[in-house]
Amino acid sequence: MTIKEPRSSQPLAVNLLKTVAYVLGSVLLFVAIAMAASAIVSVFYAEYETAMWIAISAGITALFGYTTRRLVPRPRSITVKQGFATVGLAWFVFSIFGALPYLLSGAIPNISDAVFETASGFTTTGASILADPSLLPKGISFWRALTQWLGGMGVIVLGVAILPLLGTGGMQLARAESPGPTPDRLTPRFQGTAKRLWIIYAIITVIEMGFLSVGDMTGFQAVIHSLTTMSTGGFGTEATSIAGFSNYTKWVITFFMFVAGVSFALHFRAWSKPVEYWKNSEFRLYGLIIVGAIVIVAGGLLGTDLEPITAVRDATFNTISLVTTTGFWSTDFGQWRPALQIMVVGLMFLGGMAGSTAGGMKTFRIGVLSKAAFADLRRLVHPRGIFVTRFGGKRVSDPVIEAVQSYFLFYMFLFMTSTFLLAFIDANLSEDLDLITATTAVAASIGNIGPGLGEVGPAGNYAGLPDLAKWLLSSLMIVGRLEIFPVLVLFTKDLWRR
Amino acid sequence: MRIIIVGAGAVGSYLAERLSAEGQDVVVIEYDEKRATQLQESIDALVLTGNGASKHLLEEAEADKSDLLIAVSNSDGANVLACFTATELGTKTTIARIEDPELREGADRLGVDVVIDPSATTAEELVRIVGIGGASEVIPFADGKLVMVGGIVSPNAAITDGPLRDLRIRQAEWGWVVAALVRDGRTIVAHGDTVVRAGDHALLMTTDDRVAEATRILGLKRRNLDRAIIMGGTRLAELTADAMSEAGVSVVIVEEDMDRCSDLASHHPQALVICGDPTDPDVLGDLDLGPKDVAIGLTGWDEVNLLGCLVAKASGAGMAISRFNRISYVGLLSGLGIDAAVSSRLMAASAILRFVRKGKVEQVATFSDTDAEALEIEVSAGSEACNKTLFDLNLPIGVIIGGISRDGTTFVPDGSTVVRSGDHIIFFSLPRDIEESVALFTA
Repeated sequence: MTIKEPRSSQPLAVNLLKTVAYVLGSVLLFVAIAMAASAIVSVFYAEYETAMWIAISAGITALFGYTTRRLVPRPRSITVKQGFATVGLAWFVFSIFGALPYLLSGAIPNISDAVFETASGFTTTGASILADPSLLPKGISFWRALTQWLGGMGVIVLGVAILPLLGTGGMQLARAESPGPTPDRLTPRFQGTAKRLWIIYAIITVIEMGFLSVGDMTGFQAVIHSLTTMSTGGFGTEATSIAGFSNYTKWVITFFMFVAGVSFALHFRAWSKPVEYWKNSEFRLYGLIIVGAIVIVAGGLLGTDLEPITAVRDATFNTISLVTTTGFWSTDFGQWRPALQIMVVGLMFLGGMAGSTAGGMKTFRIGVLSKAAFADLRRLVHPRGIFVTRFGGKRVSDPVIEAVQSYFLFYMFLFMTSTFLLAFIDANLSEDLDLITATTAVAASIGNIGPGLGEVGPAGNYAGLPDLAKWLLSSLMIVGRLEIFPVLVLFTKDLWRR
Repeated sequence: MRIIIVGAGAVGSYLAERLSAEGQDVVVIEYDEKRATQLQESIDALVLTGNGASKHLLEEAEADKSDLLIAVSNSDGANVLACFTATELGTKTTIARIEDPELREGADRLGVDVVIDPSATTAEELVRIVGIGGASEVIPFADGKLVMVGGIVSPNAAITDGPLRDLRIRQAEWGWVVAALVRDGRTIVAHGDTVVRAGDHALLMTTDDRVAEATRILGLKRRNLDRAIIMGGTRLAELTADAMSEAGVSVVIVEEDMDRCSDLASHHPQALVICGDPTDPDVLGDLDLGPKDVAIGLTGWDEVNLLGCLVAKASGAGMAISRFNRISYVGLLSGLGIDAAVSSRLMAASAILRFVRKGKVEQVATFSDTDAEALEIEVSAGSEACNKTLFDLNLPIGVIIGGISRDGTTFVPDGSTVVRSGDHIIFFSLPRDIEESVALFTA
């Protein structure tokens, strides 16, 4: 055993940037391959000019990735802290490369818009600056969906699954990127786990494609919507999201959104033993939250002049879409009555299970948070009592509870300061954002949902915001997707001190 | 290879780190939750919390599909029980660390395939180091005919006179080869133009009759040690005392506890047992330490061992060797006032690594300050290396051949030496090249 770099001759920051460059080199190659695939789709639909520009983007990305990989030596070893910071920085950089196809092909000529759309893609947010995505060339539309599918399970996790990226360091990186507080290992080595997760993710996506293509969607639409459902992304091909499709299609998507909000490690375990689902207490809580929310929303909708069956369908579809942070909509929930709209805002914070592709705070954290709070309450009643927080039949250790509590605190703090910032930017630059728009735009970005309410609601889009606001929201999406800490750690003094 | 390690103490976590870095599927079972969490943070392996002998946990660790179970928790009983349960479940091979010799009998009937006793191996290593008097490690290969000698190069040593290639031309009879240097925590595999500097930790390969020459080249002061002052009354101390007496070195044991002292005195009549604090200068002063004395710190506490050694050196002892539990101290502190450091944990790890590479590799040595290993391997007929000169072999850059044993004779090879099947090759390799080089010599 060597003592890890007893006399390090390099400042930490240099080592960190080297690691970032090394990781980016590999990840950009994957991004380039995905672009090349989109170029092929473009050629298939005879959009030769678009295809050329996407191919050029792929070329630039690949060249950049290849040269960094050649120039930067493999870093010796990285710590957990560095892994977090690496992932944080890397995500910002590849969101900029991902914008190349939009910019070069002219589909989205403004750089702030293009980066916003890419960040919204990779982070599986689904917020868009496009009024009507059906006008996009097919190749660009495919690229847009593909960013979500790659971002859902994680580009770096994919890197770890295929390349033995950085050895043990790869595990630190993938941990920072995987959604959820506790990594669930399917095999002793992380590479094996990453492989299995990606395989199960791909299989379920293909199954959804099958179900969707026998309905009223075209083959192309079925592919796009499957990619964006399983990643809980929410990019579609139509201006009306899912509202224009048949009831069959809506139910299929409802089901698969629910599936995407479940831990993929659990899917893997339950593949041969479905009873595993029911044994998992986070799954039961996830189901309970969804059923409860549907009942409340449906109850609210039944009071209006909607037909009962429509009310139940709309309630189910949109509630699951919001809780899993997908962001599809089957009806403009911005038109619901105010009490239900508040419910919509509340649902934006929940999120799916840890280890799913969903954003938000995650069921596990909600469960632990409320149980810990309840234990505190009981401590007041019995000052000498010992109360242990348990989740899923296992004791949750104090450091985990504290991490969850500080996560909640950071989440809320970020939500409030960003809302304030957005309002501030708006007051100085455009003056047409109302409170609801500002609040929900921030909540929908951090939670990776997509549509908010008001101007950025289902019927609207994010195009009208000032450029500065778009950059703020793009950053928030990445912060939310990486679960806050990997990005916040970049702002700690310790990280940069040698 | 799928490997289960029971117990994440010093040996367990060291092995887990080594093996998972090598690409093995490692599952660690550790009782202490804090320790388990800590380990999970740092290595790419599955860490389970609980009793490693429990059937339920071993099933979760998939003992039925595992090739090897290594039980190195600090309880002999738990280790044996873990091996028993794992064998029942279908693990192919089990290794247990059993400290108490009474428990070792019949262990094979309880499903333990291999018993390792790190204390005994450490005692042997101590005797070898004291025998050569000055080296920091002495590792025998090919039944002791080839020896790897390690030491901190002293200023003005013959070996620092320019690149190794030039030294080789000047030297009439070439009987040793520098395998590697550890400088500032980094391992350098030696090549022709490598220059050895004073302060480097050099590892030399030589035949057993030339050990004296090798130590001279390194500039190590050779001392004739005739008395060993053993500090502490641990089992390792007892084993060392016996081995030393057998090797003709007189033994003094310094132990603080009165009852323990009477026990020691009745079990080891040949040794002088002194009751006192081994770190107390007065206690050591009464012994009139001189250049022919070696102080060996073998208490259970690293701090006491280090301090005792420093006090002994300051009081005039010719050499001081300390035993450390914390493996990283071994590399970090050697040379800083103490002449050599040993770790029974490291010894245990070496013994187990040999087993992990079993079948192909005869012997493995690991070192305290580098991840590289020295391996002995039998060249199989039909392997890629067979009937080629070393020069044509295109060895990976991180590999150096240190010696060959053929038909009972041993020699240090050069570029024109032809490899034959049945040869025992001893080579030194960086971790990343181990697999490739092993493949080269085996069919």
